[in-house]
Amino acid sequence: MAETESTGEKKVVKQDKLIQLIVFRLGDEEYGIRIEQVKEVTVTPEIARMPKTPAFVKGIANLRGDIIAIIDLEERFKLRSASQPLVGLTYTLAVEAKDYTIGIVVREVPQPLSIPMSIIEKAPEFIQDINIHDKYIEGIAKVDERIIIVLDMLKLLTPEEIMQLQPKSESSSARART
Amino acid sequence: MKSREQEYREIFMAEALEYYDAMSRHISELEKDPTDEQALNELFRVMHNLKANGRAMGYADIGEVAHGMETIFGLIRSKERTFSGSLVPVMFSGIDTLGRMIRAVGDGEETADASVLLANLERLVQGEEPILEDDEQSATDEDATRKLELSDLVYIQIKKLDHLLNLVGELIIDRDRILTLSQEIGNPALQSTAAHLFRITDDLQYSVMDARLVNVGSLFNKFPRVVRDVAVAERKDVELVIVGQDIQIDRNILQIITDALLHLVRNAIGHGLETPDVRRQAGKPAQGHLTLSAQTERDDVLIQVTDDGRGIDVESVRKKAVERGLVTAEAARNLDAGAVRAFLFEPGFSMAKEVTDISGRGVGLDVVKLAIDSLGGQLRVESVLGQGTTFSLVLPTSIAVKGALLFELASRSYAIPLMHTDSVVSLWPDEMHVVGGVLMARILNENIPVINLHDLLHSAEDGLLAAASKSDLMGRQDIIIVNYNNRKLGLIVDRFLRQQDIVIKPMSKPLDQIDLFGGVTLLGSGQVCLVLDVPALTRLFLAKRP
Repeated sequence: MAETESTGEKKVVKQDKLIQLIVFRLGDEEYGIRIEQVKEVTVTPEIARMPKTPAFVKGIANLRGDIIAIIDLEERFKLRSASQPLVGLTYTLAVEAKDYTIGIVVREVPQPLSIPMSIIEKAPEFIQDINIHDKYIEGIAKVDERIIIVLDMLKLLTPEEIMQLQPKSESSSARART
Repeated sequence: MKSREQEYREIFMAEALEYYDAMSRHISELEKDPTDEQALNELFRVMHNLKANGRAMGYADIGEVAHGMETIFGLIRSKERTFSGSLVPVMFSGIDTLGRMIRAVGDGEETADASVLLANLERLVQGEEPILEDDEQSATDEDATRKLELSDLVYIQIKKLDHLLNLVGELIIDRDRILTLSQEIGNPALQSTAAHLFRITDDLQYSVMDARLVNVGSLFNKFPRVVRDVAVAERKDVELVIVGQDIQIDRNILQIITDALLHLVRNAIGHGLETPDVRRQAGKPAQGHLTLSAQTERDDVLIQVTDDGRGIDVESVRKKAVERGLVTAEAARNLDAGAVRAFLFEPGFSMAKEVTDISGRGVGLDVVKLAIDSLGGQLRVESVLGQGTTFSLVLPTSIAVKGALLFELASRSYAIPLMHTDSVVSLWPDEMHVVGGVLMARILNENIPVINLHDLLHSAEDGLLAAASKSDLMGRQDIIIVNYNNRKLGLIVDRFLRQQDIVIKPMSKPLDQIDLFGGVTLLGSGQVCLVLDVPALTRLFLAKRP
């Protein structure tokens, strides 16, 4: 008796597994990252601009003793033209990427949201048209009238891709040696 | 303060007692299973180490007994003897004797006479039967009265010390922050607590740094053998002189320079020193001299490799540099010898076989250079043709804390390690001249190129810098003269701030790809401060100069 009961429970859990997302706005769309990939959400700390980095790398900041890079995904994904700078108070999501932590700056307070796993649909092919490589889009969730693009940070760009670094003769050889 | 001698003896004792424990354990294993090769190898190794340590410390009789035992374990290993019969009690009594001798050293007493044992060991080596006296008796006596001892020294993995040092680094950053805050808040109780915290963390930092220090000798003492082997292979007659083994340096720094030093020594014997015939013809003593020396120089450690060989032919290097397109023929003509020798450290330059043959120098000197750079150290070379060459390594004593010059650029703080800072000057625009599109300043009879650091840092990824113009300069310019590989470069900054010891945190991913910055540090204000990497900055300037 007990056994059948527990398997029944498992089934229910499997079907309706809820996942928690941190939802934020980039451009006109809403994006979500699974809460376990988000280390913390904070008011953007003071950012030190780093020369010799692409414009979307806002710089580095001290987040509780950790020095992390802060990037602007709107600029990276070209969802906002570079001529429109970020203004006023912004927020930073400290996100655990593959083997490092990186800060993503957003304009509005990110909100947590629980959705059932089952409503995340695999992203269609043409998603590439909006400049985001689909490999780190986990899927698209439709919640009431909202469309949330769920990003998988673990598959997000490698450091090289983030930095958009082309193998340059002088700097790359220097890098290889260090 | 303990004398060095005493410290050495304590280390010897700790190791010897550990060896004693190990040999007691392994010989019991061997007795149970005479074919246990692992135990046998361990016994052989331990005897060998004890022999070497004993002899190095001047405990000849310990060395003697260990040597005899080592020989027999060697014979067992090569299957010429077996661990059986009358050999067994002799070996057990040998280990007991070693234990007594080690304890006698620890107590500062004379070691007991071991002639009976040594004679027996000798007989065993010769294949004769040992003469067993009351060995059984003394062995049981020993067992009955044996004391169990724990060592005064603790072995620790360097990884644990690294972790400790990192934590201290973090603590110092927070301490500086607290100190700044306490001054801002102005509460006297808080201020005095902060001042106390400052002193304690200072003490803690130096204690942890001190715990990581090892003698340079621990590396230097490996060289007599290396020198001998290389000299034999190269058919050279070399006398090695080692100076300053007692100088202390961070263990990881010593680890990092190991290969570099090996390289320099091999180079010096292989290419620097001549064969005895050539030396005699040149009117030099047939035996070449190689000196490895260490000394403290302010807060740094200076390690030098000096040979009295043929020296570096500056003209050949100059020619080669022009051929390889590193410098124009015209510019090369005006370079002084030091600047020319700096080419030897160019990547690829030294790899060329021809250069090695002509100048007699340089397989992989760039690798040496990089190792030293990674420590924030300096590598210099001086040479007199026909008389010899000296390579100097200036190394920080510790990796934790580095002296740095803080300055301001575009309202942000930056730091440059003092190791690479030559001087700071303030110059009026009319004290500088534009030569070939580059600003030049004459400082202490030296023409030094000067660049606005802001322009250099924000230069486009491709393309060169615009030609310099004095009209951009308003008023006195604060200039930091940095020195890398004998190349001086003046950097115009907005304002000098101060000199400060900083804890450099490595750049986190993905920003570690930008080699212009050696890391970051947090200032007392909580502000993030980028630490410039002078080698990368110099390379950038050379690539971008108009």
